Amino acid sequence: MSVPDWPAPITDRLDGSGDLGGRAVTAIAVLLAFLLVVPLAWLFVQTATLGDQIPALLTSATTLAVLGRSVALVAAVTAASVLVGVSLAVLTVQSNLPFKRFWTVAAALPLAVPSYLGAFAFISAFGPRGAFVDLLAPLGIEEIPSVFGFWGAAFVLTIYTYPYVFLTTRASLLSLDASLVEAARTLNAGRFEAFRRVTLPQIAPGIAAGALLVALYALADFGTPAFMRVQVFTQFIYSRFDAFQQGYAALLSLQLLAVTAVVLFLESKIGADDDGAYESRGNRGKFGFDLGVFRYPAMLLPAGIGLLAVGLPIGIFTAWLFRPGTGLASDGMAFEWAFATNSVQVAVLAAVASLVVALPIGLRGANADSRLSRLAERAPYVGYATPGIVLALALLWFTLDIAPVVYRNYGIPLLVFAYVVRFSSQAVGSIRTSVLQVDSRLHEAARTLGRSRLQTFRAVTLPLIVPGVATGAALVFLTTMKELPATLMLRPLGFETLVTHIWSVRETGAYGQAAIPALVLVVISALSMGVILHQEQRT
Amino acid sequence: MNDSTRRRYLAGLGTAVTAGLAGCNNLLGGDSDEGNPSQQVEVPALTQLRGSGSIVEGRPQPEGTSINDLPNLSGELSLYLGGGEGGIYREFVEILEQAYPEFTVLPTTNTSSTLAQQIVEEVNSGASRADVFWSIDASSLAYVTQNDAVESLPEEVTSPVPDSFTGPDNAWVGIAGRARAIPYNTNELSEDDIPNKVADFPNTPALQGTMGWAPTYGAFKSFITAMRLLRGEDATRQWLVDMREAGTERYGNEYVVSQQVADGALNAGFANHYYALRVQNQRPDAPIDLAFTEGDAGALVNVAGATRIQGTDNADLADLFIRHLLTAEAQEFFATRSFAYPMIDGVQPVGDLPLVSELNPPEIDLSELSDLETTLDLMEEAGVSG
Repeated sequence: MSVPDWPAPITDRLDGSGDLGGRAVTAIAVLLAFLLVVPLAWLFVQTATLGDQIPALLTSATTLAVLGRSVALVAAVTAASVLVGVSLAVLTVQSNLPFKRFWTVAAALPLAVPSYLGAFAFISAFGPRGAFVDLLAPLGIEEIPSVFGFWGAAFVLTIYTYPYVFLTTRASLLSLDASLVEAARTLNAGRFEAFRRVTLPQIAPGIAAGALLVALYALADFGTPAFMRVQVFTQFIYSRFDAFQQGYAALLSLQLLAVTAVVLFLESKIGADDDGAYESRGNRGKFGFDLGVFRYPAMLLPAGIGLLAVGLPIGIFTAWLFRPGTGLASDGMAFEWAFATNSVQVAVLAAVASLVVALPIGLRGANADSRLSRLAERAPYVGYATPGIVLALALLWFTLDIAPVVYRNYGIPLLVFAYVVRFSSQAVGSIRTSVLQVDSRLHEAARTLGRSRLQTFRAVTLPLIVPGVATGAALVFLTTMKELPATLMLRPLGFETLVTHIWSVRETGAYGQAAIPALVLVVISALSMGVILHQEQRT
Repeated sequence: MNDSTRRRYLAGLGTAVTAGLAGCNNLLGGDSDEGNPSQQVEVPALTQLRGSGSIVEGRPQPEGTSINDLPNLSGELSLYLGGGEGGIYREFVEILEQAYPEFTVLPTTNTSSTLAQQIVEEVNSGASRADVFWSIDASSLAYVTQNDAVESLPEEVTSPVPDSFTGPDNAWVGIAGRARAIPYNTNELSEDDIPNKVADFPNTPALQGTMGWAPTYGAFKSFITAMRLLRGEDATRQWLVDMREAGTERYGNEYVVSQQVADGALNAGFANHYYALRVQNQRPDAPIDLAFTEGDAGALVNVAGATRIQGTDNADLADLFIRHLLTAEAQEFFATRSFAYPMIDGVQPVGDLPLVSELNPPEIDLSELSDLETTLDLMEEAGVSG
C-alpha cells in the first residue's frame, strides 16, 4: 500500500528494465494512468466558464477559510491516526499483549464501517438528546460537550481511518529485521532508544504509506464533515453545486486537487530518505517486549477504540430497528435484497477492473526506476484523492461532451470506471509492495535454470504476490461498497445500492429504515476485511 | 435506450416488471392483451391509498378526475425523482406500476438541484435519459425551464392546478404544496405570541433564544431567497444576524426542529408545515401547533412539481403519467401520507390546516427562487452558512 520506496527499490528484479518487454509494460502503465486522470481535465473546462471572476473567487475570505479548515482537519486526523495506528501495531506485533490475534482483528475492523455511518451513529448517541445524553440525565448531567464541529469530525475520521496506518505499520513491523534491534540492545541502547533509532527508521515508510491514505481519505471524505457540520472542501463544493454554481464547484475542486498534490509531494519526501535501509531478508527471529504489569490494562486501548468505532454504530443501528416511525403515514422505502446484490455486483466489477489496471502499473512501479513509471504509479493516487462528488462531476461533463452515447447507454461500465479511477491506487500499492518483497534470488535461480521470463513470472513471482493481489482487490471492493457520491450521480436509471438507499432514507429522519441496509453493508464489508487480514497472516 | 444495461429498481415486483417488459418490448410475445389499453385496471381503494393516523381520520371523499377516468398507463417511463419525500413519491409510483401491469418506471433519485443540472447537461449533449423530472421544489423546475431543457405541458395536464403553481407557458405543473410555517409549543406560547411578520421575530421577547432552524435545508434557503427578493439584501442579512445573535439554535433538518418544539426544548422554529404534522401524527398529544406569517417570506408556498424533458420520445406517456399525479386519488395520497397541500380543488389539506387560498403567500414568482448564489453569499456573511 505504498507510494514511496518501501522497501527500497531493488531494480531489475524482474530483469532488464530497459528491454522491449519492460518498455511495453511501462507504456501500458502510462496509458492506463493517463486514462484514469484525463476526465479530471474537464474541471479546467468547467472552471474556464468563470472567466475573470477566478482570482476574486480563489482569494475570497470564504474560500480561504475553507482551505485553512480542510488543511487543519487533514493534519489533525493524520497525526492522531499515526499515534493510534502505530501504538496498536506495536502492541499487536511486538508486545506480549494477551489475545493478540483478536485485538488485531478488532483494531482493523473500523475500516469496514463507512465513516459517515459512524458519524451518523455518533450524532445519534452523543448529539443533542441522543441516546447517551438521555442515559446520563438521571445522574444530573444535562449536557455534554457538543459532538459537532471540527474536533468532532476529527475524532470520528480518526477512529475510522487509523486502520490504514495500523495495517501498513504492522506489515513493516512483521518484516522487520529483529537482529538489528537486538544488536542495538546489546550495545546498551534502552528499549525506547532502540525503538527510536532502529525500529522507527525501518518502519517509517510503512507509517508514511498509511498516513498518506489517511490524509487523502480525510481530504476527500464528504459524508463525515457534512454530518459533523464542518465546512471543508468537499462539503463546500457540494453546497455550491447544489446552488447551481457549477463553475465555482469546479474551481474549488481544482483547488482541492492542488492540496492533494502537496500531500503527495510531502509524503514522497518522507519516503525518499530511507533508501537502502530495508534490504531485509525477512523476519530474523522474534523480538518482543514485555508489558509487565500493563499487560491487561493495555488491552483497554484496542477495546475502547473497537467499541467506539464498531460496537457503537452496530448498537445504534440495531436500536433503530426498534424505534418508532418517522411520523409519515406511510411505509415507503422498504429494504430490498436487490440493493445488496447491486452493491456487491459493482464492487466485484470494480475490484476485477482495478486489478487489470493495477497489475501492470504495480509490477512496473516496483521494478523500474524511470520517471515515467514513477509517474504512472502515482497517477492513480490523484483519483484516490479526488472526492467522489468531484470525480462524478468531471466524468459527467467529460462523457457528455466527448461520448454522450456512453453516458446514455453504458451506465454500469461508466460507474465501474469511476470506481477504478477512485480506488485502483490501493491495488497498485499493495501489488507493488508484494512485488518488492519477492526475493530476487529466487527469480534469478529460476532464470539460471533456463526458465523464460514469462515462465518465471508464472512459476515464481505470481504465487508470491497473490496475497498482495488479493489484498488490493479486497480494498477496492471494500471502498467501492462504501462509496456514495459517485454512485449517486453516475448509476444508471433504476439502479439502487445499499448506500444510495441509506442516503435516500436519511433525509426523512427515517433512521429505522436505514438500519437494515447499514447493518448489511457493515457485514459485507467486514467479510472483505477478513480477506485482507487473512492475507496478512500469510506474509 | 438499451434495456439490457439497466437494472430494475423494483426487483421485488418481478411479475409486474416482467409483464411490463413483455408488453412494451414484445420480447415474450403471444400475449393476447398486448397493445390493448382498454384492459380493466384495478385502482387501489381510497382506504388503501389514504394514510393512517389521527389527523387523517374522518376526511371527506376527495373529488376531481379519478384514475379510472384516465387512459391506462402502458410502457416504460424514465423518471428523475428529486428527493422523493422519503419514499412517498416512490411508493405512489409503485402503486401505479401494480395497477397497470404494462407500465414500468425506471427512477433515479438525487437532490432536485443536482438532477436539474444533470438534465440540462444531458439535453445540451443530446444524451437525455429522462422522460419526466419530478422535483421537490420550484427553483429546480425553474432552472431546467430557464435552460430550455423542458417542453411545455398540454393544457389538459395543467388545467386542474391554479396558475400560481404552474411554470411560465405551462413549462411545469405543481404536484404538492409546502408552506413555510412556524411550529410552536402550545404549552409555552399561544398563537397570538407569534408576530405575523418574520421581520418582527428578532425583537419579540417570547422568541428570544428559544427558536430553532436548519440553514442547510433547501427550503430554508428558498425562504431566505424569498426574503431577499422581497426586502433586499441588507435587510435580509441583518435579519439573519439578529436571529443568530438572539440565540437561534441550528439543527440538521426541519423534522428535528419540529420534534424539539414538541419536546419543549424549543419554543418555536422555522420549518415547512408538514414536519409538525408528522410529529402530531406520531404523537397525537404533543403540544405543537402551526402559526403562519402573512404576505412575507415566512409564508412562502413552494411546490413539488413535474415537467416533461426536452426531446423525449415518450411525450404521451409522460403527460399521462403527470395527469395521474393530479388525480383525486393521487392528491389524497400525497395529502394524507406526507401532509402536503393538494394542488386540486377537490382534495382538502389534512387536519386543521388552513386552505391554500386562506394562506397569504408573498407576491413572488417561484421561478426566481433558483437564484441561490446571492443567498448563499449573504448567509455566509451573516455567519449562518447554508
